[in-house]
Amino acid sequence: MEKRKVRFEIYRYDPSKDTHPRYESYEVTVSKGMTVLEVLQFIKDNYAPDLSFRAYCRSAICGSCAVKINGYPKLACKTQVLREVEIYQTDTLRIEPLDNMKVIKDLIVDWDEPFEKLEKVKPYLVPNPEVVPDTLDKESRISPEQHKKYDRFTDCIMCTACYSACTAATYDENYAGPFQLARLYRFAVDPRDGIQEERARIGFLYDMWNCVRCEKCADICPKHVSPVNGVLGLRGIAVNSGDNTPGSRHVRAFYKSLLESGNLNEMLLPLRTKGIKGVLENLPLGIKLLLKGKVHSPVPKKIKDHDTLLKVMREVMEEENG
Amino acid sequence: MLSYDVLIVGAGGAGLYSALEASKFKGLKVAVLSKVYPTRSHTGAAQGGINASLGNVAPDSAEKHTYDTIKGSDFLADQDAVELMCKMAPRIIREMEHMGLPFSRLEDGRIAQRPFGGASFPRTCYAADKTGHVMLQTLFEQCLKKGVEFLNEWFLLSIVHDGTRVKGIVAMDLRTGKIVGIRAKVVILATGGYARIYWKRTSNALGNTGDGIACALRAGIPLKDMEFVQFHPTGLRRTGILVTEGARGEGGYLINNKGERFMEKYAPEKMELAPRDLVSRAIETEIMEGRGFEDDEGNQYVHLDLRHLGRKKILERLPQIRELAIDFEGVDPIEEPIPVRPTAHYSMGGIDVNTECKTEIEGLYAAGECACVSVHGANRLGGNSLLEIVVFGKIAGKSAGDYASSVSYPNFEESAVKDEEKRIERLFNGSGKEKLSTLREELSETMSKYAGIFRSEEGLKKGMEKLQEIKERAKELKVYDTSKVFNTNLQQTLEFLNLLEVAETIVLGAIERKESRGAHARTDYPKRDDDNFLKHSVIRKKEDGSLEITWKPVKITKYQPEERKY
Repeated sequence: MEKRKVRFEIYRYDPSKDTHPRYESYEVTVSKGMTVLEVLQFIKDNYAPDLSFRAYCRSAICGSCAVKINGYPKLACKTQVLREVEIYQTDTLRIEPLDNMKVIKDLIVDWDEPFEKLEKVKPYLVPNPEVVPDTLDKESRISPEQHKKYDRFTDCIMCTACYSACTAATYDENYAGPFQLARLYRFAVDPRDGIQEERARIGFLYDMWNCVRCEKCADICPKHVSPVNGVLGLRGIAVNSGDNTPGSRHVRAFYKSLLESGNLNEMLLPLRTKGIKGVLENLPLGIKLLLKGKVHSPVPKKIKDHDTLLKVMREVMEEENG
Repeated sequence: MLSYDVLIVGAGGAGLYSALEASKFKGLKVAVLSKVYPTRSHTGAAQGGINASLGNVAPDSAEKHTYDTIKGSDFLADQDAVELMCKMAPRIIREMEHMGLPFSRLEDGRIAQRPFGGASFPRTCYAADKTGHVMLQTLFEQCLKKGVEFLNEWFLLSIVHDGTRVKGIVAMDLRTGKIVGIRAKVVILATGGYARIYWKRTSNALGNTGDGIACALRAGIPLKDMEFVQFHPTGLRRTGILVTEGARGEGGYLINNKGERFMEKYAPEKMELAPRDLVSRAIETEIMEGRGFEDDEGNQYVHLDLRHLGRKKILERLPQIRELAIDFEGVDPIEEPIPVRPTAHYSMGGIDVNTECKTEIEGLYAAGECACVSVHGANRLGGNSLLEIVVFGKIAGKSAGDYASSVSYPNFEESAVKDEEKRIERLFNGSGKEKLSTLREELSETMSKYAGIFRSEEGLKKGMEKLQEIKERAKELKVYDTSKVFNTNLQQTLEFLNLLEVAETIVLGAIERKESRGAHARTDYPKRDDDNFLKHSVIRKKEDGSLEITWKPVKITKYQPEERKY
């Protein structure tokens, strides 16, 4: 039986007693199969009864136990210690609370903010009377293909790992957050929903265009949900519905540039996105770039094989809309 | 002081459904109090599905569902309650479908249904293998829509009543450590089951510690059929984590070390899809008679083989199961069989309630796994627990709303809060001679050994003695964490004490029920004895702290007890 001594450096902080957070080290002999959660409970049982962490189902479905393990948000319950040790080629694992939320005690963070944000985006079905029958004697009819469009997003367990890793959530207080926007999208593509276009507007209100597509949420989601795809999907709905906010205009400006020449027209981009205001805002930067010779010609030349590009674009769009 | 017309304790399926229902009453102040954040509750871990005779795949009827449930219960279920549940099932499924629940679908767009143990037809509606998860999420979404108030991360300490009417509860706000009295016209307990008693061999969440049941017991409220604990046949070898019955519903085989599909011997017709009590006993027997496997840690198990289902079906219908097997056992079911062993899974027993979810105390209701109506009798069929929680959650919410609308607020005496403060104070001042994790393991071992799948008079009596010993030693426990903020040391200690209190009622019921029925298998009384035991056991705690057992008749409408063959 494979056994190994592993050192755990655990973030400890009780704001009612401590002035600063600290790290405490515990050495545990770990056998094959042992999870980080089992180790945390072992430490609590044997060394530190006052160590606080959340845990519930211990089978990766309740979303209670997400923590940072060597800097990476994971569910403690499904993370095998010896596998981590292997990946990081180390005998030390550092366990910390999630980011982007206030620490309440040790590994427990304050969930109120992400859940309050969830509440704001109407994260529930608003039934479309044309699809949802008004009698309990009948079901709505949803084809397996229609079901597939939202099914993946219903895997979300709201563990807040994505929220903790989200670049936009770090810098934009108003940003709804990845799992919140993914849920918004989940309803926007449910044929039973009656406010599909309003959902894109809600996304706009809570800064969906501020997602920087770093894709960290997709990378770390323990349920493989890829919330960023929900954000992009919502943006797509906005653009297709003729939305005229800067985000949609920005997308259209890119699209137009590609249609015209295949090159990005950087002179027209701010104008098309934000109008004259955008031009003025970007003017100082534009001048600098111009002086350094970093700006393409305002009348960009068509790229070679422009026809092929158009063909590719057409096919991609057909694929996405079909 | 905090006051509510309707206060629901527990935020799983039963709690949330009753909150939605109670919120329909104009002017009532409704809140859901839970020791976890919403959507963490154990309803989310239910995988396989929820039964309703929609008849979408094969013709079916509420009557057939009723009969299967009663037969599955080994005729201990109250037949009027089962009839009610099965009749309500199709409409409540559609109600949730209309809320947006993402059920898996048939080609023609209707809700898909799969076969499950003990059922005559494919009757189990599902969302892949995450049915409970999406149900909990959908109900939570609806609660947000209706603006239901939540008291998140509050721990129930006691139920307050005056012998006839409920007055509220005492609870601890885990975030601040404050012990608070909450006045309520109605309290609905929806606090889940107690299978965590079998700590080391259970599919249950860490928090399924029977808190509501223990509080009810301490408050003198009777519990029913506590001896019936369901062992799910397929828990993962090491952790006891659940592998859904859907895995067998989709066609999985159980195989012993001789390579035989051994269910042939125990249930030649239904094979792997016999009811859970029967399949669990079959697996245990195979292991005891030397036809199981053993790993180098001494864990014994049999194989659940899904390989013949093929990659596509496994990925489509059982994706989470595949991931659980990979993450927790290092086994990919597409390539290898999954090592499984029965795991303590479900509490058939619970707080004694009628079909309106009422206890004997006015204004106190219970619904879901913490309650015993009884619709599951001696053995629950797979896919009936998700059904029970929504049906009786709905009934409790409605019945509670009616009652709360018709009465004024009770008086709440602060002395109840003082009592709990004192009880907790003592835990901080304990001697520390005993260690929580040691006692917890001893409790688990005692219960698995003596009150597990097979039981006998001799063993149960030894078990009872051991429980008394653990109870004495538990007085020497100490809570070391002195912080008010998220004191999980205190919480885990209180949870253990709840488990210990409930364990005694299981053993007492098991000693007194001198027959074998459903999940209760006595080696010294291997037959069902309808003449003497076609009745519910009722246990209550008397004022001197001793337990008293009485019996209550089973309600039989049209299905006369018969031998149970599969």
